[in-house]
Amino acid sequence: MGRRRRRVDRGAAVGALPKAIAALSRTLPAGPSPEIFRRAKFDRPEAAPALWQLLFRVLSPLSADGASASPAQGEPPSTEAQVRAVKSELRSQGYPRRALAQLPEDGSQGSRELLLALAWLLARGPLLERLLAQTRVRLGDEIPLCECEALARPGAPVPRVEADGPVDIRHLQWLMGKLRFQWRKLITSQQEQCALLGKIHSYTRGCHSDRSLGHLSVAETELLRDAEGGQQDTVLGTCPPEASQPTFVPRIPERGAGEWELVARELQALQEELRGAAEPRRAAWEARVGGWGPEWSAVQRASREAVGLELAALQRAWERGGAAAQPHGPCRLVKSDAGASGGPGLRAAQVIEVLRSREACLEAVLCQLQRQCRQELARLAGALPGLIWILPPGR
Amino acid sequence: MSIVTVQLGQCGNQIGFEVFDALYSDSHCPQGLCSKRENEVYQASCKERFFSEEENGVPIARAVLVDMEPKVINQTLSKAAQSGRWKYGQHSCFCQKQGSGNNWAYGYSVHGPRHEESIMNLIQKEVEKCDCLSGFFIIMSMAGGTGSGLGAFVTQNLQDHYSNSLKMNQIIWPYGTGEVIVQNYNSILTLSHLYRSSDALLVHENDAVHKICAKLMNIKQISFSDINQVLAHQLGSVFQPTYSMEGSYHYRRNPLGELMENLVPHPEFKMLGIRNIPQMSENSLAYSTFTWAGLLKHLRQMLISNSKMEEGIDWQVRPPLSRLPTLGKVSLNRELHFNTSIANLVILRGKDVHSADLGGFKDPALYTSWLAPVNAFNVWKTQRAFSKYEKSAALVSNSQFLLKPLDTIVGKAWNMFASKAYIHQYTKFGIEEEDFLDSFTLLEQVVASYCNL
Repeated sequence: MGRRRRRVDRGAAVGALPKAIAALSRTLPAGPSPEIFRRAKFDRPEAAPALWQLLFRVLSPLSADGASASPAQGEPPSTEAQVRAVKSELRSQGYPRRALAQLPEDGSQGSRELLLALAWLLARGPLLERLLAQTRVRLGDEIPLCECEALARPGAPVPRVEADGPVDIRHLQWLMGKLRFQWRKLITSQQEQCALLGKIHSYTRGCHSDRSLGHLSVAETELLRDAEGGQQDTVLGTCPPEASQPTFVPRIPERGAGEWELVARELQALQEELRGAAEPRRAAWEARVGGWGPEWSAVQRASREAVGLELAALQRAWERGGAAAQPHGPCRLVKSDAGASGGPGLRAAQVIEVLRSREACLEAVLCQLQRQCRQELARLAGALPGLIWILPPGR
Repeated sequence: MSIVTVQLGQCGNQIGFEVFDALYSDSHCPQGLCSKRENEVYQASCKERFFSEEENGVPIARAVLVDMEPKVINQTLSKAAQSGRWKYGQHSCFCQKQGSGNNWAYGYSVHGPRHEESIMNLIQKEVEKCDCLSGFFIIMSMAGGTGSGLGAFVTQNLQDHYSNSLKMNQIIWPYGTGEVIVQNYNSILTLSHLYRSSDALLVHENDAVHKICAKLMNIKQISFSDINQVLAHQLGSVFQPTYSMEGSYHYRRNPLGELMENLVPHPEFKMLGIRNIPQMSENSLAYSTFTWAGLLKHLRQMLISNSKMEEGIDWQVRPPLSRLPTLGKVSLNRELHFNTSIANLVILRGKDVHSADLGGFKDPALYTSWLAPVNAFNVWKTQRAFSKYEKSAALVSNSQFLLKPLDTIVGKAWNMFASKAYIHQYTKFGIEEEDFLDSFTLLEQVVASYCNL
């Protein structure tokens, strides 16, 4: 009886498999055709390149707007680079199979291993949900709460202009001035956007089917307006009303208490080892340097102070920022009554508080850098007797 | 994005009226030479920038009128209301019962602080009517009493209260043979104060505009109204809507911001001149046709030879053959009468505008050595014709246009100052000799900077 039930179950599973593969093929970025999956099951070599590419796309960090953070060269990386990246990423995620790590870098073999790796990723965490969330239509008016994704992404390479000969300072002043004007223009645009958002949120109060939101976003308003004009099917009709939730929050895998103990002990051991290695080296260095006199200790003191200041600033930022308490990524803007309490999400006042403290930190860093520049300039000026500084006109 | 205009003194108010009238007339001109739909978008863009809406539909100019005596303001208000097409806000003006006797120091030190709150309140009300404020125009004369002293004070206040908003002062440069004895003192005080608190100084020279009226427009008895209309035409041809970029048919949202970013980012170089072509009486318009090649050739030569209008251009002036680094060297170009540019903006309006060839303006020989043409030259276009001109071109230039006039004024003011003539008029109201010296220092620096291009 048990055996018969198993056979029925297997039959149902086998029947559902083609549909699942087809869905996967549609959903995954650079989704290989179902035929590729079938060939991979039989470890056919021709299926390997497509699966390497698929794994590369799935594992590479995706930016919030769904675009792949490919390097700024604009071209997809070579097969070898993709293979290496996939192996490295799987390793760091804890993928156990050695056979994959040993596959050749030309990407010509191992389609069954790759299929196994994909299955492992799918089983491990909400991979599909994450991918779908990256590329879905966003219905809310969103603002980013933190910049960690933007900072983690490798930025475009800074254009390096090699100056042949001395650079005219007037050109630099010109560029600085341009930057300032662009900033002012940006601020003005942002203010306009905020004013308009405020208007739309006020005017559409009571229009949203989801009571916790209460009003429509710009995207929703436009969809409704277009729908009334009969221009397209209402997407709103088919989409469930969106709960005000931030986008996917990276989940830290649960570990047992025992594991933490182990990790803590390993870290302590490492610290002891490092201290043991550092002490004799430091003693030797100080012995060498100690005879340099008071000038050197002044420098030492200054550097120690500078480091201390920076650490303190970092700590303040960390504590005040309450970084741990904040969700990452973009959040939906919802306007509610001043008295309303409860509900998920952050209050604007809290976000403003965090931003203010970050601003203060950055100001402090800026002041320090300016002071260093001034000291450097004074040193350079001191080296040239008879040099007169003429300051630009200001108030 | 909207621009709020502050009209100061007799000069500022009379010109301001002509500017709004020119903008309104152009945006409702039936001969736009473009589709109805495009015309509507053009109108809407101009309207949002310069006018606000009222219930009965008559557009209200986004303006604040300030003068120390009521006569000119009343005239301006009634002229606008009479037209029935647009008007000024009922409560947008501030005036007193008596003037300030052409005393710059009185305008700056007495009128200014005394009426600061009222004036700033009026401006604030006008700003609140804007969905989005791009910046301010401040129209004022440079050498008068009320307009200039008070204007300098108001601009400083705008800097303090609206530091992120852009400020462009439309300055009327007096006739060389002006009637006010102390006009050179007033001029240097105005310029030095504005240089510190304004973002851009767009200069309109009375002498130049007068010549345009006489030679090009064939006006026999030139009134201030004629002069102001030419001036308004020039301003309109710069600030009416233009496409946001090559190939686009959307109008740019922030022309003031883009103009400033492209022309005056450097704090020492804020003086802008304006030229336009063609300029003629309405009767002659019907009989004239132009090509872009011809118009641009003339405009380029007007730029190079510092000519104020399209007649009497000196075609002998040529760009120098080699651009030498100029630090510390006395500009040979002055002797050759060649006008070196820092940055230029050309605005083209009308038929076949996309076929116009602007290569002549991208010649590196036109520009100073530290800025390449790709950064120094910008062009705005729209195929919607401006004010019945089938094709028209305007040039806003940050160049040595005003070097000689500025140098002249500073020289004359210094000669007077050296003998301390009329200084008591200023020290009586808190403008000390120190302030004069500061102004001279600043302006000498500006002259030197423009000279060493």
